[in-house]
This record gives sequence, C-alpha cells and structure tokens, in this order.
Amino acid sequence: MHHFMLANLLTEPVGVAHYMAVGAVLFVCGVLCMALKRNALGVLMGIELVLNGANLNFIAFGSRFLRGEGQGLGLDGPLMALFVIVLAAAEAAVALAIVLNFYNNYDSVDIDRADQLQG
Amino acid sequence: MNLQTIVNSLISDTVTTSLPLFKPELVLCVTIVVLLVTRLFPGLNKIPPFAIALLGGIVALWASLPAGGIADWAKIERQELFTGMLTYDAVTAFIRVFLMAFAVLFIVLARLTGLADREDGQDFYCLAFGSIIGMCIMASANHLLTLFLGVEMASVPSYVLSGVVKGRRRSSEAALKYAVYGAGTAGVMLYGVSLLAGILGSAHLPTMAQQLVEFDIAGKLAEGDQYMQVLVLALGGLMLGVGLAFKLSAVPFHFWCPDVFEGASAEVDGFLSVASKAAALALLVRVGIGFGHVPGETPESVAAAARPTATVQLAAAAADVPPAVRLIADEAPVTDGDAETADAAADTGPLSPVRSFFVQVVGIVSVITCTFGNLAAYGQKNIKRMLAYSTIAHAGYMMMPVAAAVALVGRDQAAAGDAVSSMLLYAAFYLFMNLGAFAIIAFLRNSMQSEQIDDYAGLIGRSPLVALCLTGILVSLVGIPPMAGFIGKFRIFQSLVEAGGPLMMFMLVAAGLNTAISLVYYLRVCKTVCIDSPPDTSRPVALGFFASAYVLALSLPVLAFGILPNSIAQWAQAATAGLFG
Repeated sequence: MHHFMLANLLTEPVGVAHYMAVGAVLFVCGVLCMALKRNALGVLMGIELVLNGANLNFIAFGSRFLRGEGQGLGLDGPLMALFVIVLAAAEAAVALAIVLNFYNNYDSVDIDRADQLQG
Repeated sequence: MNLQTIVNSLISDTVTTSLPLFKPELVLCVTIVVLLVTRLFPGLNKIPPFAIALLGGIVALWASLPAGGIADWAKIERQELFTGMLTYDAVTAFIRVFLMAFAVLFIVLARLTGLADREDGQDFYCLAFGSIIGMCIMASANHLLTLFLGVEMASVPSYVLSGVVKGRRRSSEAALKYAVYGAGTAGVMLYGVSLLAGILGSAHLPTMAQQLVEFDIAGKLAEGDQYMQVLVLALGGLMLGVGLAFKLSAVPFHFWCPDVFEGASAEVDGFLSVASKAAALALLVRVGIGFGHVPGETPESVAAAARPTATVQLAAAAADVPPAVRLIADEAPVTDGDAETADAAADTGPLSPVRSFFVQVVGIVSVITCTFGNLAAYGQKNIKRMLAYSTIAHAGYMMMPVAAAVALVGRDQAAAGDAVSSMLLYAAFYLFMNLGAFAIIAFLRNSMQSEQIDDYAGLIGRSPLVALCLTGILVSLVGIPPMAGFIGKFRIFQSLVEAGGPLMMFMLVAAGLNTAISLVYYLRVCKTVCIDSPPDTSRPVALGFFASAYVLALSLPVLAFGILPNSIAQWAQAATAGLFG
C-alpha cells in the first residue's frame, strides 16, 4: 500500500509523519545545495538546511502531542535541537572565517578555484 | 517525587560522581580560560602561553591517570556520568590517558618547530585543547547527543588548525575543503541520528539497545509488511556511519584527507592522524557495542533464555571453572555436551541482525579503505601526501579488530575484549610512529624548506640520527619485526582469526596482502633516505638539541615496544577487561 502514502498524508490529521516529510524535503534540498552550489556560501547554506531538517525531526519525535506520553524522545528531542542550533552557529562562524581567509588568498569564494591540492 | 528532590539528587549525582571523573576535561577547560584571560591583562601577558599550556596539559595527564595507578584499570567498573550522557570505564580511561599524553607531546612539538609562536600561541593551544576535549567526549559517548557534540567539538577546532598558517594559499584551501566536507558529513550524520532516535524512542545508547531487542528485527523482516521500519533503521545507521567514516577517513569519505594533509602543516597532520583517529575508533567501538550489546548481558544468559533447561547447568558449570582450566577444556576434544553449548553460544541473540549488519559494513569498508590507501600511496612525491594515504590505510587496519570485536560479542566476550585491546594497542604504537614521522617532517621542513621525498635523498650523510629514526618508523609502519608495528599488526590478525568466519578470513587475507603492498612505498622512502646520493643543491640539515631529543624520544619507544611489548599490552588488556559490564 506504499503508493498511497502521500495521499494518506494529505487526508490524515497532522502527525509525526508530516513533520518528517517536511524534514526530509529540507534534508534533500540541503544535500542538493551542498552538491550543486559552486559558491562556498551556498554550500554553507545547504549545510544549515540539512541541520534544520534533522532539528525538525527531533522536535516532532520529542513532542507529546504528536506521539503521546512516554512514546517518543520526550525532553531529549527539543534539547538536542537546542544544542544543534548552538553548534550550527559555532560551525557557521568558523566556516565563514575560513571562507574569508580563502577569499583573501584567492579573491574568490568559488570552491572550484580550490584546486591546487590534488593528485 | 517533586521537583525539589529531583534537583537535589541531580546536584548530588553531578558533584559527587560525575565531576570528579570528568577532572581531566575540566583541567583543560580551565587552561583554555586561563590562556585567553592572561592575554587581556598587561602584567600577565608576559607569561609565555607555552608555559601555561604545558602546565595545563601535564596536570590534565596526571588527573587522567586512575587513582590506584595504571594497574587498577582492570578494577574500574562501568559507570554512567551526567545522567547517562557519558560512560566511564577502563576504555575511557585508557583513551583519555592516550589523548592527554598526546596533547602534551603535541604542544611541545608545536613549540619546538615554532608553529605556535608568542604572538598567536594562545589561539593555537586553545584550539588544540578544545579539540582534545571533544575527542574525550567522543571516546566516552553514551548518548546520541554527546556522540554528535563530541564529533563536532573535535572537528570544528581542527578545521581552524589546518588553516592556522596565515597567508598561505594551500593552507587556506586545505581548511576550506576540510570545513566543507566535515560540516556536510556532520549534517548527514545528525539526520541519521534523528531517524535512529525517533524510531527507537530514545537517544541513550543502552536504552536503544534494549529497544532494539524489543523491536525484534528478525520477526519484522519475516512478517514482510513491516520491513520499511527496518529499512529506515538501516538507513539511519548508515547515515550515522557517514559521520564516523569521515572522522576515520574511511573510503568513500576520505577525499579530504590527502588534500588537508598536504595543505596543513606537518604538526597538525600528526594531530589529525593520531588523536582524531584514535578518538574516532573509540567512538566506533562505542557505537558498535552500544547498539550490538545490552549492558550486563552475557552469551550464557542469552543462551539460557533461549534454552532454559540443559544450557543453564552447562553455563553455570562453565562460569565456575577458573579461566586457566577453561582454556585447557577448550583445547580438549569436543564432546557431545560441548557441541551443544557451542551451538547455543553461536550468535543467535535478538541483536544478532544488528551485529551482523555492523560487522559486514565495517568489515567491507575496512578492506576497501586499506587497499585504496596503500595503492594510492604509490605515486606520491610529497611525503605528507604519502603519509596521508598511509593514514587512510592504517584506519582500515584499525577498523578490522572493531568488526571482529562486535562479531565476537554474542559468543565470547573475553575474546571480544581482546579484539578491542588489540585496536587500543595498535593506536598506542601508532601515536609514536606517526607523531614521530610528522615531527621529523616538520623539523626537516624548517631546515631545508622542502617536503618532497626526492629532497630527502642522502639524508643519512647529512643527519644520521634523523635518517635512522625515520627509517625505523617507516619500517614499523610496514609492520616488520622487531618494530612495534609488527606486534600491533600481529595482535590485530590474531583477533581476526579468533573471530573466524568467511568475512574475517577475507579481511585477514586482504590485510596480509596490503602489508606486502605497503612494503614497496615505505621502503622506497627508506632507500631514498639511506642509499641514494644527495643532490648537488642539498642544504645542510641542522637540528637543535631539543629537536633531536624529541625525535629520539618518539622513535626509541617504537623499537623498545617492539622488543618488550608486554607492559603496554597488559595495560590495553586491562583496559578492555570490564568493557561489557
């Protein structure tokens, strides 16, 4: 009955599956963005999308309104999402500094220019 | 139970149990703060940052040693810290001593080669210590949150470390590649973590193992219409594996490794290849055993649950026999009763599908990683790039005993512990071999401004000590006796034989062939160093007294442990004795 899964999502009341679907879309967009963007800043944005897709999952799994008491992750879910937000900020700060350093040396943020090291 | 009692018990648990066992990390945190604060005050900024960092590192090393000395390792019982976030057992203690010792050696090296100078020494030491704290958390992760936090805390400072030499194009390119690959794989890993946590309804590894038992994978697969859930579980596991493979530089997530190693400075390469890899391997052990084993469960208890009548008596009898007698009993001809026990003890527990999945993925990836690393190392002209591929190959060798350990958990926990101890032993030898090699490269770079293998020609005439040390280390990396690398590899092969089965035999043959392949490119460097005549343009090689002493201090153990490996092997053995408590 798997071909009817999307139809089910549209007719059912909102549950974990809906959040997971949005999270999965964010994840796929992020991965595509990482793989296809040639601009280093675009790649970093893709990474943010992936992290937020995972965050949405954590929130949905942790919610007692979506899964009922004692079923899901409980407080662990939102807490993990909070930690991930903090980490994503730290990672973005470091990555932007590295991109700026790259720009100072190459006058460009095109990752295809990073081709001196290969072999 | 009201809020007050919860808060009180939380505080007492944190203060009396968790924080004392978290001392080494706390010491490093304090050192970081002190390093950053002393720069702000006019009087205090005269204190050299190296002195503060060295003091902090040594205190952290001292704090990481178990209270009763190293001999006490076998007695450490598994404990959960911070309400189950971290686990403290002898493996944690071993890896922590390893990492703290590495931290001390690393800051001394960075000082000797002048990478961390007075101007920005604070930043360098802070980044290194921050990364080491992350690695400690990786090695003791007991919860998916600490697993992810540890990986990120270890990675983010090392992105900066790889680009720490300012104004060099290659260095900035290395940092960019490392950061982009690292952040991307971390994102994929986090998504996998979210899937696993969501399906199993917990993020605490032992609870997840318990849930997996109730999940009944074999039953769900047999029913047919619920295979989707198992599929999502496997997908989550593989995505988690992406992050681990990046940290281990395992194929197919190894692309960053050669580029970063070539672009970053040699000291940082030593950091990435030794500390980062050891922590990633420890994390792999945590994940494999965390998902594949419920704490407190023994093969006997599983078998007893499966066959309540005859096996209980046999198992009880087996438990009473002292180990030495059991060894003899194992060698005795197999009687009917023994055959039945062996049958029952075969891997049939409820978690066996998880274990076999893990073993197959890790086993196959390790063989491919090992072979790829050794083949790609052939044509390299830059010594750092060659050693980067050698690092990839060694990651493959060191993943093998982890697969063997997880394969053995369901049958024979003592043998599984031995397999993990062979990995720890190899990691300990690897510290001396690789840090020694990269230290020599860094010192040679300072005195002859080159990292090309060809420029090392005739080094034996220009600096006999360095040439001999480098040759010894490379011979040890191949695994030729009497060097330490031989003992390490021998133990790893032994654990594969112990685990048995077609996959393990395949891994054993592949590892053996790889050792033969690797002989060629390591010995090519040895030949260049020892036999070839120096080029006419050769510059003199002069190492200071401290640099020579440092190289010697790292190279001598490679030979010494090769001849007398017993003490360190016993420590590794003791460290894994209580792994399955």
